[in-house]
Amino acid sequence: MNDSYVYIIVALLPLVAFMLMLQANPYNALVIRGILGAVAALVYAVLGAADVALTEALVGTMLAITLYAVAVRSSLVIRLGVLKDDWLEAESDPDAAPVDRPSLTQLITHFRTIARRYHLRLELIPYPDLQSLNQGLTEKEVHVTCSPRSPQPEHNSKTDEEKSPSYYTVTRIRRLYDILQTELSSPTICLTYVAPPDTGEKH
Amino acid sequence: MIHLLSNFCIGLGIVFWFWGTFPLLGKRSVLFKLHSLSVADTLGSMSIIFGLLLKIPSEWSLLVLALISLAIWNTVLGYVLAYCSSSGGRDER
Amino acid sequence: MNLMLIAMILALLIPIYEAWQDEDIWQKMLAFASAATKTSVMILVVSVLRDDWMIGVVGVIILSVGNAGLMLLAHLIKRMSEQ
Repeated sequence: MNDSYVYIIVALLPLVAFMLMLQANPYNALVIRGILGAVAALVYAVLGAADVALTEALVGTMLAITLYAVAVRSSLVIRLGVLKDDWLEAESDPDAAPVDRPSLTQLITHFRTIARRYHLRLELIPYPDLQSLNQGLTEKEVHVTCSPRSPQPEHNSKTDEEKSPSYYTVTRIRRLYDILQTELSSPTICLTYVAPPDTGEKH
Repeated sequence: MIHLLSNFCIGLGIVFWFWGTFPLLGKRSVLFKLHSLSVADTLGSMSIIFGLLLKIPSEWSLLVLALISLAIWNTVLGYVLAYCSSSGGRDER
Repeated sequence: MNLMLIAMILALLIPIYEAWQDEDIWQKMLAFASAATKTSVMILVVSVLRDDWMIGVVGVIILSVGNAGLMLLAHLIKRMSEQ
């Protein structure tokens, strides 16, 4: 048992665990977690605990990584609600957008770069009209909505005399608002934050 | 004689391991690294297990199972990784 | 034999270092595949070194089953980067 290689193998485990802690991207961290599981199984086998090594390899490496990948994939997502005809128009010919306002495609590309910087995923959900879009926001189906007209009519009339933004982006999540506020620099986009209507509900 | 041969096989396997793993450090494409890794790594591992088989012939069933699973799984895994990385990575860049 | 095991540990350190310094997820996956194979072969070597049948069985099971999780993860990551 007192062989020199045992010490080196055991020293690998804290090394890989430290590497795992330094990862910022959750997917990279999952891959490193796989390496940690393999090294841990090796350490347990070398120290003589065959059953623990088998459990670590099967549960810790296979099951935990698969479940975590599914969990990370479904939780780290921004759902962006857009209008259907707006989206179809942008999808069919991206170059045919009017000159005075940027097309939705550009906006979505912009959103994508922001989301990638924070390791998020952008999911587009089309809605048939403005009313159902706003309803989707209040019913927490989407996190952010993006529409060419303002959701509040009085807000629209106030900004009409100035150079009005062509896209109104509304979010109901404070953290997303903070991120978008600092990252979204384009003047053609107006960003607003609406508090959730029932704040008493726990989630 | 057998002992020498088994040691030679294990040493050859370790040399193969280093040979296959050192290209990982370079700035080459994923497929290049995958090629060297799947060829040299699998051959090295199989050579090591063959050396172990010469050392302890009584555990032959276990080690032959390891050889077979190594050959099949590493080939399949090479295909899966190549398929996933080539079709997934295209719109990433 | 001890020296050979230490050489194997050195070979194992290469994919670990690679997984740490490379940011691309597929390079990390490659390093993971390499490290998984290497650790299970090392478990087999240790089992033969100590003449312990039980550890050998564990090594073979890890070798034959552990790659399945790797393939699942590869497909999930591929789905991720498609969007």
